[in-house]
Amino acid sequence: MLETFLFFLFAIVAVVGALGMLIARNPVSSALWMIMTLFSIACLYITLNAEFIGVIQVLVYAGAIMVLFLFVIMLLNLESMPSLGDLDWRKVVAFALGIAVLAQLLVVISLKLDVMPEPVAIAEAADATSATNIGIALLTEHSFSLEIIGVLLLAATVGAVMLAKKRFV
Amino acid sequence: MHTTVLLILILPLALAAFNGLMGLFVPAYRKNEWLIGGLGTLAVAIPFVLTVKLFLGFHGEAEVVHFFTWMAAGDLQIEFAYRIDQLSLVMTLVVTGVGALIHLYSIGYMHGDSGYWRFFAYLNLFIFAMLNLVLAENLLVLFLGWEGVGLCSYLLIGFWYTDLKNSAAANKAFIVNRIGDFAFLLAMFVIFAVVTGKTDGAFGLDFTTLLAPETLGLFGAGTLLAVALLFFVGATGKSAQIPLFVWLPDAMAGPTPVSALIHAATMVTSGLYLLARLSPMVLMAPTAMTIIAIVGALTAIMAATIAITQNDIKRVLAYSTVSQLGYMFLAAGVGAYFVAIFHVMTHAFFKACLFLGSGSVIHGMHEVEHELEHKGFLGSHGKSEEEDPLMAVELPYEGKFDAQDMRTMGGLKRFMPLTRWTFLIATLAIAGIPPLAGFFSKDEILFKAFELGYNGHVWSYFVWIIGLVTAVLTAIYMTRAYLLTFEGTPRWPDAMDTKPHESPWTMTVPLVVLAALSVVGGFVGLPAVLGGSEIHHFLVHDGHGPVAEPHHEFHVPVAIEWGLLFLGLAIAAGGVLFAWFVIRWGSRGPEADTSVKRFFGPLYGTFSRKYSVDEIYQKWVVNPVVNSARKIFAPFDESAVDGAVNGVAKLVQGIALRLRGIQTGVVQHYALALVLGVVVVLALMLLG
Amino acid sequence: MYDFLLPDMGATAPILLVALIGVVLVVVDSFSNDSASIPWLSGAVLVAAITIELARVGVTDSAFMGHVMSGGFASFVNVVILLGALGSVILSVPYLSRTGHNFGEVHALILIATAGMMVLANAGSLITLFVGLETMSICLYVLTGLVRDNERANESALKYFLLGAFSTGFFLYGIALLYGATGTMMLSDMPAALVETGRTGFFAGGVALLLIGFFFKVSAVPFHMWTPDVYQGAPTTLAGFMSTASKTAAFAALILVLGRILPLDDVGLDTRHVLAIVAAITMVVGNVLALAQRNIKRMLAYSSIAHAGYILTGLAAGALGYAGALYYLLAYTVMNIGAFGVMSVLEWDGKQGAEQTIDSLAGIGSRKPLLGVAMGVFMFALSGFPPLAGFFGKYFVFAAAVDAGLTWLALIGVLASVVSAYYYLRVLVAFWMKKPEDAHVSVQSAAFDVPLFSKVVLVACVAALIALGIVPGFITEAAGAFFVTPEATALLP
Repeated sequence: MLETFLFFLFAIVAVVGALGMLIARNPVSSALWMIMTLFSIACLYITLNAEFIGVIQVLVYAGAIMVLFLFVIMLLNLESMPSLGDLDWRKVVAFALGIAVLAQLLVVISLKLDVMPEPVAIAEAADATSATNIGIALLTEHSFSLEIIGVLLLAATVGAVMLAKKRFV
Repeated sequence: MHTTVLLILILPLALAAFNGLMGLFVPAYRKNEWLIGGLGTLAVAIPFVLTVKLFLGFHGEAEVVHFFTWMAAGDLQIEFAYRIDQLSLVMTLVVTGVGALIHLYSIGYMHGDSGYWRFFAYLNLFIFAMLNLVLAENLLVLFLGWEGVGLCSYLLIGFWYTDLKNSAAANKAFIVNRIGDFAFLLAMFVIFAVVTGKTDGAFGLDFTTLLAPETLGLFGAGTLLAVALLFFVGATGKSAQIPLFVWLPDAMAGPTPVSALIHAATMVTSGLYLLARLSPMVLMAPTAMTIIAIVGALTAIMAATIAITQNDIKRVLAYSTVSQLGYMFLAAGVGAYFVAIFHVMTHAFFKACLFLGSGSVIHGMHEVEHELEHKGFLGSHGKSEEEDPLMAVELPYEGKFDAQDMRTMGGLKRFMPLTRWTFLIATLAIAGIPPLAGFFSKDEILFKAFELGYNGHVWSYFVWIIGLVTAVLTAIYMTRAYLLTFEGTPRWPDAMDTKPHESPWTMTVPLVVLAALSVVGGFVGLPAVLGGSEIHHFLVHDGHGPVAEPHHEFHVPVAIEWGLLFLGLAIAAGGVLFAWFVIRWGSRGPEADTSVKRFFGPLYGTFSRKYSVDEIYQKWVVNPVVNSARKIFAPFDESAVDGAVNGVAKLVQGIALRLRGIQTGVVQHYALALVLGVVVVLALMLLG
Repeated sequence: MYDFLLPDMGATAPILLVALIGVVLVVVDSFSNDSASIPWLSGAVLVAAITIELARVGVTDSAFMGHVMSGGFASFVNVVILLGALGSVILSVPYLSRTGHNFGEVHALILIATAGMMVLANAGSLITLFVGLETMSICLYVLTGLVRDNERANESALKYFLLGAFSTGFFLYGIALLYGATGTMMLSDMPAALVETGRTGFFAGGVALLLIGFFFKVSAVPFHMWTPDVYQGAPTTLAGFMSTASKTAAFAALILVLGRILPLDDVGLDTRHVLAIVAAITMVVGNVLALAQRNIKRMLAYSSIAHAGYILTGLAAGALGYAGALYYLLAYTVMNIGAFGVMSVLEWDGKQGAEQTIDSLAGIGSRKPLLGVAMGVFMFALSGFPPLAGFFGKYFVFAAAVDAGLTWLALIGVLASVVSAYYYLRVLVAFWMKKPEDAHVSVQSAAFDVPLFSKVVLVACVAALIALGIVPGFITEAAGAFFVTPEATALLP
């Protein structure tokens, strides 16, 4: 019962945080709203007995990536973001389409999930997402993907450096 | 057999490649006109000899020559195979025979042209494609040739591409033909979908399997009608019938030998060949046959009425070709496929002769043009810019000179006797004066139309009457063309001292041969009352030959048959005599047109505007498509509007401005479209 | 317990080799900046990978516990991707040298992108599918923005990145739904798992989102908006690379997904109508918009959209059309590499070429007959003219569509192809039927020569198009063998 309550609590906090990020006009507060969302998601993982993923979520997103965001915001000295401005037909259409996609996805995950999954025992779930088991899976079953992801990260780094380096300008 | 067929096909291709590559990469080679032309001519003449050999050794049984498996994918197995039978032999003889003569003619006609090598390379390539078309054993190889001749026609119409009008004409021909081609393609898909898996072994769209009665039985009546009509639409493109005939008159922009070879004798008849080849199939779709006959008849009369108003000698011949092709479709539509092929053959003789004759005339008139220019009679512009549709009879050549305009000709018989006699013979042949070739084939077409009407298909009488009227018109406008060109007195300036000369032997020999063929060519198809038709016997072969024909319950009585024969004769002779002695184009010159104008009244304007078909297509088909691309779809493509930014400064500025614009807007529009797609795809998946 | 790793690395050797050399090139480049040996190395590894794959087309295998396919279908697709990459690398060297951007990193990124494409096209599970997709995409974003001093390039790279990330979101969501519906990541296990769980609606949502991700990558309408901007902004040879290799990879992966998880007659799921509708819209919009273009690279971009529509037509026809689509991909790769190659050679001064319009190309044919003839072959092939390879591509996919009862779709496709003849022909008219004097003087002022290696690639493309057209049999037989029976389709290599 407590898990359910916490799940929905953090879920609501995550959505509120996301909305706050969109509405805030100050970039720094926007970033802070986002941290709230990311934290809540980490909490969601933990309520689902996926402690390892929850911790990684905090470390990578709420930690590393958000710090990077804040650096960029400060380096670029962004004062505030432009206000949303007046409504025009494009915004109305965009809003309507957004609602439509949301509605469709809600239909999918609520109405279309006709057969509910069996609940998994807590111990089993915790075991499956433990650092040991994830590590083993990564280095055996997913070793190929792991290798390719390594190359991908290298390529991303090289690309970022290449686009940013001075000699190209 | 194998080697012979291979040689027939490969020689034109090999020499096309040789002349093309040598000309393209070795500039010194381009000067050797005799070598290029000689090789090019031999590449067609040798296959002709080989075909004659095949023809003489032919024993009435169709033979299929396999080379290799072209492709195999599941149930589809297409062979690179060729078919030697009565029909393909007749067509190959015409293609290589007339083709060789026209190659010989081109040696003289193209003399001095900077693209001499290119011309012969294209011409040989054309022969190769055309041979693929007529010899093919399956629809796909046929289609290969079909597209190939279209390509060569495109290249040759636009041969003198420096004139923008010529490349426009080439584009028009190509694109109009593509419309027909794709109907052909669709027909193949339908056949493939219907037949695959239901025959023994893999199906390769081959005629042997396709035209077997058990295969034809697989088709429902509706499917059969659709297939026949799709093939017919394909044929209307290639053979210039309503509604796709508009490209052929413009195609006269090409050199005259091209007009003779491609746009009179061979390529434009490939639609007929296709229908004749598939005749067992088309015969099973009577509605399609009726449509074919009526479209053919309407094309015949429409083109004939236009031809009577034209002043450009090649355009008269072009419309006459459209009209004669209409006759052939009329014949096909009334079930007389063998007559259609017979007319293809005789038409190849006399129309090629007429075109080559006109080429000889134009050759001579160019001589006059240069001389006049030299003497200072002409302005700086040698050619008239735009043809006046309602023909100003008064001084059409003031300050300008058009070597193809019959109004500037006249009296050429004194200067070019050989050209004149051959042209006259071909004119009488096409008009239908016995015993020349045109009389027999045309008479047989009209007789078959009448026979079908006699057997209870009343619409066929209507077609027959249109055919008769067209025959009169044909006799009149062809006589007009002859008289304006060769009779009377010369009408170009300074005619006393400026004289054209007869063309060189390479040009006159083909003329003489073709004129001779126009005289004797008809005797292979004598009407039944005069002893029966050889070609009928050869092609239909008592129902075992490649060409099918419908069964008629009632035979037209011999008396009526004789009557029709004389009616045809009277009409042809009447037309010629009327034009010669009543309207008197010979002595009155272009002024005589006023009599015709008075006779037709307001209709004459319609004729000379060519029924405004081009304008209608432009307005209702071309413009809407292009405009919708430019305007309606422009919001989907922001850069289409301001994409043409000129100048570096403006460019940078423009991009800088747009970059701002993009960051706040355009990417979001892109994303908007993406989300729209998401909604649609999700909805389709969830609901479907 | 884990002794399968070594043989599995052998089975995926071409991918790993290409990725490894990509990494090595980064190292080489850091010691010897922009070394001339780098392009040679990357060319050599591509040739080596092609050789290995060609040797394995006959064997069907899988590696890493089914996460990666190898041999058979996978090898066939890899050969097409590698050929596209090889052609692009060879054409890129003179092109990028001329524009001053022949950096070692570029070749490293091309190789890594190629490895990503192969992973995508050989995926046995949703995880490898996604990893491959991202590896490919990230490298392509960077390559698009390579010419940093050109605003258009920056702009297009940014657009590509933003929209690409956006579509990836949908793709990932789709993967999550599919996993949720079946509890497995393996493509081949999904149909059985779905029958067991019975969450069809959930699954359908996942499939839809997955399809959206693919539609974006193959630039199907209305997910195509980035394509013209990116192809115009990116270095020309790399635009050729994107339009061929990355499309081949995405289509191959789509065939894998459709062929392996969607023969779902027992649960009543069908994607055909979605594919057919998207294919129809794509063919019409792509061809009509190509008509309105005067810039040739934009025209080629819209033409590539249109071709995506033709290939989707084949996919909509189901298993019948897959072999046709594979043939089409090969033919399309060859002709598009060639067309972009010709355009790249025409950008001899580095800048003006990016603005090549129909008018600025007047008379190239008579100045450079080789380029003129080659472009002629490519344009005729693209417009589907027999006997060139492009015709059979169209023939196979349309015939499959008619056979599958989608006659209306084939009809639209055929009509759209009629329109396409017009704009392809216009290029040829400019090349051959206009005088050089008609061109903008500023664009054609410089005399230029065609690099030897570019000539070799162009001639090879021309020869391949003719050969593929005259003897398409061996390709269609090979491709057809992957999809002979429904059972074989289910066990798709």
